[in-house]
Amino acid sequence: MATPARSAAEHAPLVVSPTAETMAGAPIRQRNLWQDAWFRYIRNRAAVAAGVVFLIVLAYCLIFPLVSPYDPYDVEFSDARQNPSLAHPLGTDAFGRDLLTRTALGGRVSIGIGFAATLVILAIGVAYGSISGFIGGHLDNAMMRALDALYGLPYLPFAIITLAILGNAGFWTMVIALSIASWLTTARIVRGQMITLKENDYIRAARSVGARWHRILLRHLLPNTLGVLVIAVFLELPGVILGEAFLSFIGLGISPPEASWGSMAQEGYKNYRVFPLLIVIPSVAIATLILCANFIADGLRDALDPRTRET
Amino acid sequence: MAALEVRDLQTHFFTREGVVRAVDGVSFSVDRGQTLGIVGESGCGKSVTALSIMGLIPKPPAKIVGGEVQWEGRELTTLSERQLEDVRGHEIAMIFQDPMTSLNPTLTIGTQIKETLRRHLDISKDAARKRAIELLDEVGIPKPESRLDDYPHRLSGGMRQRAMIAIAISCNPELLIADEPTTALDVTVQAQVLDLLEELQASHEMAMILITHDMGVIAESADDVVVMYAGQIVEQAPVQELFDHPEHPYTEALLGALPQIDDASGRNQRLTAIRGRPPDLIDPPKACRFAARCPHASSGDSCATHMPELREIRPGHFVRSQHPASERAGKRVEVTA
Repeated sequence: MATPARSAAEHAPLVVSPTAETMAGAPIRQRNLWQDAWFRYIRNRAAVAAGVVFLIVLAYCLIFPLVSPYDPYDVEFSDARQNPSLAHPLGTDAFGRDLLTRTALGGRVSIGIGFAATLVILAIGVAYGSISGFIGGHLDNAMMRALDALYGLPYLPFAIITLAILGNAGFWTMVIALSIASWLTTARIVRGQMITLKENDYIRAARSVGARWHRILLRHLLPNTLGVLVIAVFLELPGVILGEAFLSFIGLGISPPEASWGSMAQEGYKNYRVFPLLIVIPSVAIATLILCANFIADGLRDALDPRTRET
Repeated sequence: MAALEVRDLQTHFFTREGVVRAVDGVSFSVDRGQTLGIVGESGCGKSVTALSIMGLIPKPPAKIVGGEVQWEGRELTTLSERQLEDVRGHEIAMIFQDPMTSLNPTLTIGTQIKETLRRHLDISKDAARKRAIELLDEVGIPKPESRLDDYPHRLSGGMRQRAMIAIAISCNPELLIADEPTTALDVTVQAQVLDLLEELQASHEMAMILITHDMGVIAESADDVVVMYAGQIVEQAPVQELFDHPEHPYTEALLGALPQIDDASGRNQRLTAIRGRPPDLIDPPKACRFAARCPHASSGDSCATHMPELREIRPGHFVRSQHPASERAGKRVEVTA
C-alpha cells in the first residue's frame, strides 16, 4: 500500500509516514485520517460507482417532485396504466399518476425512514454498547445477557406488534417500529470496540494524568469508534429499508395515498398480471438502493479499516 | 521522611487459575531529587508496583491486598478514585513504555498536553497553549508551535516519547514514574531520552522511579537500585555499591549477562545466561524463589525450605539470600585453605 495504513480503530499506526522523520523539514503535505480514508475509498471503483448512483437516486428523490409537471396525488383515470412514453417516462399507475414523480416521492419516504431509523438505531446502540463496554464487570454481563434475550425476539413480528400498539402508521411510528428491535447488533459492535479500545495504552496514559471517566469516554473512546459507526450506518440501512418496504407491502406501513416503495410495490402486486411495470419499478428502486448501500459499506470498511481487507 | 514511601506492598491478581502474587511485600522510598531504579526481568512485578502506586492496576482482576503507599504523608491506597485522579498527573505522573501507542491517534499533540494542563491547573486556553509550546520546547522538540497541531502519527518514536514526557511533566509533578521509557526506542534515541529525563529531574527537582530491565540504564541514571525477582525485592543498594559489590546471585547473574565493550578477556566471550525460568507466581515456593536457578544453593540449605529475609548486609545494602557474595567468598577461602 502506498499510503501509511491508518484508521480510527487502529491505535498503533504500523507504518510511520516517511515524512514524520523530517521533524524540522520543509512544509509537508498534511493528510489526516479522513483524507487518507478518502483516498483509499476513491480507489475502490465499485464503491465509487455505488456512491454516485446513491447520490443520483437521492438527488432524484429530493428534487424531482419539485420540478415535475405532475402532481403525485392528482388522480386522472383517463391516463391510467400508460406504458412509458415521452410524457410519462415510466408510465402511469392505476390512478393515472405519473410513476416517475410517484417513485421519487416514495423514495423520499423510504430513504427518509431508512436514515432516520438507522440514526435511532445508532443512538440506542452506541449508548447501550458504550455503557456496557466502558463500565464492564457485572453491569456489562447483565446488559449483554439482556441483549441475548432480546436477540431471541424475531425482528419483524416485533416491529409488527409495535406498529399495532402505536396505531396509525406514519413516518415516525415506522421509524420507532423499525429501530426498536434492530439496535442490538450495533450495541454489540460498539461494546466490542469499547472493550478493545479501553485496553489501549493511550487510555491508561490518559488516566495516568488524571483524566476523568466522562472525558475518557467522550474524548478518547467514542471518537475512535467513529469509523466503525460510519460503516454501521450503511450496513444497517439496507435492512431497515427492506423492513420498511416489507411492512408497507403487507399493508402495515405507509398507506395510500402517501407513497413509499413498499406501498407502491403493494399496489403493483394487485394487478401485476395486467401491468407488471407497477411492481417492477419500486422493486428495482429498492434493489438498487440496497446494492449501493452494501457496496458503500464495503468501500468504507476498506477505507477506514484497511487491515480487514482480505486481498 | 521521604516523599514516597512504599511499605510491604502486596498486589495480587485474582484469576481463574488462582491468585497471582505479582507484587509480594515490596518496600522502598524515594526522595525529591533522587532516582530510584527498579530492575528485573519481565513479569517480576516492577510495572505492577508502579501501577499500584498510581492506582492504575486493572481492578478486577488485580487488587492491592496489603501494604501502604505513603505519598507526602498521605496514604494513596485508601483514596477514592476521584481523589486519586487529582493526584495523578498533578503530583505523580507516569511515562509508559511504548510511545507509539500511548498517545491518542485522534487528538493532536497540543490537545493532549493542553487537556492535562487544564485538567489540573486553572488556566485559560491561551495560557495553556503557550505553556504547551514551552513544554514541547523544553523536551527538545524542534518547531514546537507547528508540532502542537500535529497528530501523533506524524512524529517519530523518539519524538513521541518526548511528547509523552511533555505531557507527564506538564503540571510539574513531584514524582515521575518512568516505566521502561526507553525500551521501545532505538539505541541512539534511548540515550537522548535518558539524558532528557535526568535533566528534567534536576531542573524540576522531581523524585523519579525508573523501571527497566536494562542494567545499563540503571548504571547511567539511578541513585538507588531495587532489584526485583518474582514479585519480591531481592537486593537493594545505592547504585555504586550494587555494581561494585553485588551480593545476590541473581544480581550477579544480571550483571554477568551484560555485554562489556572493554572486556579484557577478549571479544569472543559469550554472555552468561541465567538458566531456568522464574517460578509460577500463582503458588510460589515457600523456599527462596531464586533457589531453583541459584548456582550456589543446594538442597540441604535452609533456603530450600524457608524464604530468606531481606537483611542489611552492609549499611544501606539489603539482600534476600542465604548465599550473598561476601559470605560466599569467606566460605570459599575456608574450602581452599
